[in-house]
Amino acid sequence: MEFLQPATWREALEAKSAHHEAVPIFGGTDVMVEMNFDRRRPGYVLDLTRVPEIQVWERENGKFRVGAGVTYTRIITDLKNELPALAMASRTVGSPQIRNRGTVGGNLGTSSPAGDALPPLYASDAEVELASVEGIRRVPVGEFVTGPKRNVLRREELIWGFIIPEAEGPQQYAKIGTRNAMVIAVCSFGLALHPARRKVGTCIGSAAPTPVRAKEAEEFIEGVLAEGDLWETRGAISEAALRRFGEMVEMSARPISDVRGTAEYRRRAVGVLARRTLSWAWAEYRDGR
Amino acid sequence: MSMITGAPGRAIGTPLDRIDGPQKVTGEAPYAYEHHVESPLYLYPLQSDIARGRITHIDASAAEALPGVVIVITHENAPRLADTSDKEYAVLQSEEVAFRGQFIGAVVAETFETARHAAHLVEISYDEEPHDAVLRADRDDLYVPEQVNAGFPTDTEEGDFEVAYASAAVKLDETYTTPMEHNNPMEPHTTVAVWREGDLTLYESTQGAHPVRRTVAQVFGLDQKRVNVVAPYVGGGFGSKGLPHANTILAALAAQMIEGRPIKFALTRQQMFSCVGYRTPTIQRIRLGADEEGHLTAISHDAIVQTAKIKEFAEQAAVATRMMYATESRRTTHRVAALDVAVPSWMRAPGEAPGMFALESAMDEMAIACGLDPIEFRIRNEPEIDAETGLPYSSRNLVACLREGARRFGWESRDSTPRARREGRWLVGSGVASSTYPVFRLPGSRARVRYEGEGRYAVEIGAADIGTGTWTTLTQIAADALGVGVGEIGLRIGDTTLPQASVEGGSTGITMWGSTIFEAARVFRERHGQNPSEGDEVEAGTPENPETENYAMHAFGAYFAEARVDADTAEVRIPRMTGVFAVGRIINAKTARSQFIGGMTMGLSMALHEESVVDPRFGHVVNHDFAEYHIPTNADVGEIEVSWIEEEDPHVNPMGSKGIGEIGIVGSSAAVANAVYHATGVRVRDLPITPDKLLPL
Ligand SMILES: Cc1cc2nc3c(=O)[nH]c(=O)nc-3n(C[C@H](O)[C@H](O)[C@H](O)COP(=O)(O)OP(=O)(O)OC[C@H]3O[C@@H](n4cnc5c(N)ncnc54)[C@H](O)[C@@H]3O)c2cc1C
Repeated sequence: MEFLQPATWREALEAKSAHHEAVPIFGGTDVMVEMNFDRRRPGYVLDLTRVPEIQVWERENGKFRVGAGVTYTRIITDLKNELPALAMASRTVGSPQIRNRGTVGGNLGTSSPAGDALPPLYASDAEVELASVEGIRRVPVGEFVTGPKRNVLRREELIWGFIIPEAEGPQQYAKIGTRNAMVIAVCSFGLALHPARRKVGTCIGSAAPTPVRAKEAEEFIEGVLAEGDLWETRGAISEAALRRFGEMVEMSARPISDVRGTAEYRRRAVGVLARRTLSWAWAEYRDGR
Repeated sequence: MSMITGAPGRAIGTPLDRIDGPQKVTGEAPYAYEHHVESPLYLYPLQSDIARGRITHIDASAAEALPGVVIVITHENAPRLADTSDKEYAVLQSEEVAFRGQFIGAVVAETFETARHAAHLVEISYDEEPHDAVLRADRDDLYVPEQVNAGFPTDTEEGDFEVAYASAAVKLDETYTTPMEHNNPMEPHTTVAVWREGDLTLYESTQGAHPVRRTVAQVFGLDQKRVNVVAPYVGGGFGSKGLPHANTILAALAAQMIEGRPIKFALTRQQMFSCVGYRTPTIQRIRLGADEEGHLTAISHDAIVQTAKIKEFAEQAAVATRMMYATESRRTTHRVAALDVAVPSWMRAPGEAPGMFALESAMDEMAIACGLDPIEFRIRNEPEIDAETGLPYSSRNLVACLREGARRFGWESRDSTPRARREGRWLVGSGVASSTYPVFRLPGSRARVRYEGEGRYAVEIGAADIGTGTWTTLTQIAADALGVGVGEIGLRIGDTTLPQASVEGGSTGITMWGSTIFEAARVFRERHGQNPSEGDEVEAGTPENPETENYAMHAFGAYFAEARVDADTAEVRIPRMTGVFAVGRIINAKTARSQFIGGMTMGLSMALHEESVVDPRFGHVVNHDFAEYHIPTNADVGEIEVSWIEEEDPHVNPMGSKGIGEIGIVGSSAAVANAVYHATGVRVRDLPITPDKLLPL
């Protein structure tokens, strides 16, 4: 096994272009598990931890451009107000040790339907920035992930990071696990209110082959908010509307049964999380936050 | 080193800091894998991919060709063992495969990584036969074992259960199940085996150095003197290191084939799910009958467990029911299914842990059916004597534990109506359960006392410290036995060069080793008086305890748990648990507290988390690591309050102590289940209590 250790982003892209089979590693919290189990034995490992360019985040006209090497811990400390749902999701990841090493870039690379960083990215229409020696491209996160642990990353590409609009309203993330920490989500739900655009973004985690947006539920609740003039009046959402929203989210889930939970439980639970996160976020909005 | 050197004769009962604490936190205390050996080789096992059949062909050429590989061992080239009567230890002796994950070979290489990689290059063909790995109550091949674990009779009958049950005013007939569970000590099962000039040394992670020596000597046909087992520090066992398993034999086999080079073999976490024992799943039917006042008149407990086809281990799930409560009639039975599975074994409180989940859940249900508070119902059925032996108890303070626990927990104000309290989205409830564990005795320990001059005594016994604190507690016991301060004692344990000691099992450690040290000290003083000369030495064996003929000896306890259940998602949280124990004298309050907290946490874990999920198509545990086999994290364990009753029991042993290593897990799962019922009104009789089993709420 060869260990490639580029010192710059350019070198990293060149290394990837020279060795398509090289497996990138940043926190290693997914890669090392695979290697320890001898599930993969790559000829080349491409260590990105010495590449400074992907370990930064920056503001870019109302959006954040966050490098693949920014750890969960840094997202929690640096961006908790700017990207609240992502910060909340980051807090639920593993343990302090895992959060100190693990990255959103790695979560994107793994593309697990249970990846905790993904629903907030979907709910805020984030884009993934991919790069190769040939150039860069930006792909909406929903198009980036194509199936369980599958994505559109090309052999010669690396993930630079992601671009996500700064929160312009309250956001929430909720996760159900079978214990309180160190747990893969049984199901999860991310929600973002976009008051300027009069939009509501959602995403269900761990209840379908990929994270999925609950499109019908979004349209439904946007309709409710528009009809009642609630964005302007900051009035309450009716119980019935909240419940209907939850039910519509349930319908968007395509869960399976496994050791973590039954399909029936997952479907029901995402409905609960949807209702809850919407009511919490809306209460914040009403409070003028 | 922090040590209390207080007055002689008063060490027992002091909360002495762990003597081995500094070595452990500085990394100086060697665990099995860490003993320094010259140029070791590394072993990685080959495990069967089928659950039943025979190996037809092995192609090891690619593995053997890998640089660094020393040998690939399979049944084709492994030496024959001297004694293969115990099939668990008949490692690599034939082409037969008896369960999925069974050791069918090993690669030995210069590095661990090479051995592991080479192991994946070995190609194995099988002639696969259909297997059967699922325990069900309606199987037609359940059999009656000759006896159950720990030598208890399989079935018992007292009075006429059928008649009494038929005429009972209040009845309960329910079935409770517990899943397969794996012990999962932090330190994996490890052997470093060195075979040199006919002598075999094993650095071993074990609950008993001497029992390992006996087994290995017998299996290899060696004189016991030629086998030495070294295990000074052990990172937990929970029973899975009580009996040696196939991994030790496999390491010794490899060492025999490559004389002179040490073989290191530590199981991976995943491998620990296939071959070092587990708790059998249980299916337990309980029937209770009571009169109008809530006096039990009929109790029956029928337990179904599984064992491996290659070796019988019949867990004694119904034995606690034989003595817990008073009744006019009682019946207990055990039935066993022999399956194509790995050999089940001891896991913390085998028998009592699953059995008392069932009985104490049933007692809760029955109390409700009788319209009684569950504490009052238990007190009403408190027996005068031990029904099994007809003997009085040496001490039995269950009622005191229930009362004291009720006071500490704040039980008085409890409204017995289920699902009657809500705080925001949380349904809140509380539950209680009793606990018990027998005072077992194991024969065969010896201790040596030697005066080393300048007031110091060497005390030697091949006992085990599996993380429980034996280094400290035996030092305290030796100090009191000799009437000196703990600072004058130089304890040596964990090695077969020391006098033989029984296994750390059945919560017998302190009872047996402590009694033996007391005896050796007594004989020492008798022979050499209070002013011995340097080098004076005495060795003595465990004394008999005639009181076992006169008294039934058990430890008792009571638990209280608060449960909060999310009304929408059914997530369960246990913010607090209270445990009160009556376990004779506490040797060391600090290490004892750790045992109780650990046991109760393990009971909480059993209640809410632990379940080894077997895929019936392949016969293996699918959630075979800590990502998917859950034990609680810190965030899952709320406040655990532990206390004990001052209990004087002059009959049990010279220390007045009862074993405490296992009692903490017995019944604590039922307290949680009963609290969840009280919170939600939903009775879950199948562990673990996962949210999906509680819905719809
Ligand atoms: C104990 C434990 C607990 C965990 N708990 C959680 C949890 O609660 N929630 C959760 O979502 N996950 C969890 N995980 C999984 C893991 O921590 C996350 O997926 C994490 O985001 C991975 O980040 P990383 O930097 O460690 O990735 P790595 O392991 O370094 O890489 C992950 C994948 O991404 C690829 N990759 C990494 N960087 C790049 C790049 N720049 N370009 C292209 N490909 C790249 C790698 O090749 C690999 O395929 C846990 C893992 C462990 C071991």
